Amino acid sequence: MIHQKGIPMKSVDESKLREIFGENNVKTDPSDLYAFGSDSSVHHAMPWAVVRPDNTEQVQKLMVYANEALIPVIPRGGGSGMCGQTVPIYGGIILDMKHMNRILEINLPDVYCRVEPGVVDDDLNLALKPHGMFYPPTPASSRIATIGGEIANNASGVRSVKYGATRDAVLGMKVVMPSGDLVTLGAHTRVEASGYQLHKLMVGSEGTLGIVVEATLNFVPIPEYRCMGIANFDHLSHAGAAIGAIMSSGATPSMLELVDSVAIKAVNKTMNLGLKEVAASLIFEADGMVKEAVDYEINKMKEICKKNHGSDITTSYDPKERAKIFMGRKKLFPALSKYDDSLSSTSLADDMAVPYSKMAEMAGKIHEVAKKNNIIMTAYGHCGSGCMHTKILMDTKRPDQWASAKKAITEIYEYVRSVNGTTSAEHGIGLSKAESFKVEKADSLKLLQTIKQALDPNNILNPGKLMQAPEDWVTATGLRYSVNN
Amino acid sequence: METKEKTKFKHLEKWESTLSACIRCGYCFEHCPMFKYTGWESDAPRAKIITAFGLLSGELEPTKMAADKIFNCFYCKRCEAACSSGVTLTEIFTDAKKDLVEMGLKGPGTTSVTDLNCARCLICVKACPHEARFHGEDGIETDPVKCQACGICVEVCPAGAAKIENNFGTGREDLIQASSRFLSTHTSAKAIVFACNWSYFPDLQASRLPESETHDKDYEIYVNMCAGRLESQLLMAPFLNKAWGVLVAACPEDDCQHKNGNTRAKKLIQGLQSTMERVNIDPARLQVVEIPAGDKTLFQAQIDTFIDRLNAMGPIR
Repeated sequence: MIHQKGIPMKSVDESKLREIFGENNVKTDPSDLYAFGSDSSVHHAMPWAVVRPDNTEQVQKLMVYANEALIPVIPRGGGSGMCGQTVPIYGGIILDMKHMNRILEINLPDVYCRVEPGVVDDDLNLALKPHGMFYPPTPASSRIATIGGEIANNASGVRSVKYGATRDAVLGMKVVMPSGDLVTLGAHTRVEASGYQLHKLMVGSEGTLGIVVEATLNFVPIPEYRCMGIANFDHLSHAGAAIGAIMSSGATPSMLELVDSVAIKAVNKTMNLGLKEVAASLIFEADGMVKEAVDYEINKMKEICKKNHGSDITTSYDPKERAKIFMGRKKLFPALSKYDDSLSSTSLADDMAVPYSKMAEMAGKIHEVAKKNNIIMTAYGHCGSGCMHTKILMDTKRPDQWASAKKAITEIYEYVRSVNGTTSAEHGIGLSKAESFKVEKADSLKLLQTIKQALDPNNILNPGKLMQAPEDWVTATGLRYSVNN
Repeated sequence: METKEKTKFKHLEKWESTLSACIRCGYCFEHCPMFKYTGWESDAPRAKIITAFGLLSGELEPTKMAADKIFNCFYCKRCEAACSSGVTLTEIFTDAKKDLVEMGLKGPGTTSVTDLNCARCLICVKACPHEARFHGEDGIETDPVKCQACGICVEVCPAGAAKIENNFGTGREDLIQASSRFLSTHTSAKAIVFACNWSYFPDLQASRLPESETHDKDYEIYVNMCAGRLESQLLMAPFLNKAWGVLVAACPEDDCQHKNGNTRAKKLIQGLQSTMERVNIDPARLQVVEIPAGDKTLFQAQIDTFIDRLNAMGPIR
């Protein structure tokens, strides 16, 4: 591997970059580079330059140059990643794809659209809406997340329980390889059995294998009816049992969310919403084209919640009532940020997945580990897809809090792996989760590195991520917080 | 990163924990007019917060380029409305500006400046809703900390001496050109909508649609930072390019981010409507509507009603 910590800083040929991209599409001032040095993770590192392509040819030219000069290239979308995928751990050139933002085609008869990677998820949905369609993966960050970034991280969201993740929506793509070659992967058809499904390999590869310059995506009709419900539980285990029972009952929720007691308290404390302070709440939703079918689904879920000691069960088709039901979950993010002035809400160990039957136990484990390590952690998530989110609230100035967080995270991931769960459900690995990822995938790490080596022999595409990331995420890069000496 | 020796950011210092509380989700991009215009993430509010953190922690040198990031802000506060962590971004920017000014870094960024042809009539001093313009040693000056770049001074200056040099596409000439381009390239174009960024701005729309999806658009929305900045020349320009009508969206009465920008716009439009009447053009072709912050539904309904009215009137003959 060419990129190791401690190697002298390489410089880039700025005139070459300006020749390829034009004067206005290259940034090298430290104030710009500093801003591009972080995302929504805890990490920060300075790139050497930022470039903004407008077309595929420019991306190809850059890769030819970078491959020859052995300069790392880090593709970047909205920069909303939570694990440091776009933080340039060894420096290099940030390839800001946000200007390749054309929706190229909306093909209704063939039910696909072609987009450039910089298209924003919400924009695509705005464009599809007049046609009665939507692009389903929709992560919470859809207002700024780009399709390219979502592909790189196999993003998913609250409705993935029914509609799947990004990988399920991608039919094909055009990719610029590290050599500069342009390849077309996948097809424009719903199914394909023509050899290796390399476009699926690109999904979730975190910008380490190729640069997606065009994607062909599937879309689905917007449902006519949507009904949401909520049930409270006095014991986490009861909520957990309800989750398993719903998912194995044949019901197809379009959303199934768990919010734990810490989360409810945080929302009440900071937002004064007056939510009932119970051990857990389940928010469930069904959607469809026929009201009777939605009724059937929602009643089934209501019954299961009731059988599993759920109380205060209410459901509604009314958009305003639905917004009210979802308010607690929606306000969770800001609530955690405002929980205590001395604490910051950090994205660490934030999206593990466990089997349905372990969701409640997982939430309990999070509480136990947090208490033991004297930090605050909350458990919430898309339990319908097995995804559990956490946030660690800590005083980021105190080195001992970082040590506690590190210890807690290690313990939580040990539990996740012990119940056949996985390190990341929807945010990816990047830098923050490499420690657990490497343990979880120990017997395939060599295989992963072989694939990387075959596609990117000079290791110039987003080096130092996934299996190449340092095991200690605290020291992998600078932290984006001020930490006392 | 380890805390380095503290710099002289004494005003910014009180925001240290807030700068850490920002989770850097980037949701503040969505409505930022600067990000929409330049497309550069480094011009978006998150980058300003990162810059403020860098300056305070000593990781970033207080250079002119770094200072410009902070001085480039229209104070529309849409970033604050979108912030998932409840961070009051513009208050942080204001305190950072105080420190930077003390270091001799005064922008101007988006703050207004005065050209040499200033007649010192003091109209701008009286009109400034933020008490940022004053008669100083060098003539009419702007306090770069107080200035919120609403542009009202630009609108009222009879000599054209008050200027905002970095308009980010919201200046008169930019808007005239953009609206003219839309009207000349869309055969079905009928109306131009000027909306102040506070009363409304469309969702992100940072992506470009295929021609097949946009060719039959009958109106286009352009953001101006405050309705109080609208000028007669700008409002009339679309009519010269065969627009059927112009709609202005402003904040409701007594709820203007820049104090009286909305009432200024209303007065201006009333005057223009009288002129239109005198030359036999239906004054209903120029309308102003009040839109509370972020009320997309009402905004769309008002546009639809306006277009229906224009369809009933037909083109200007």
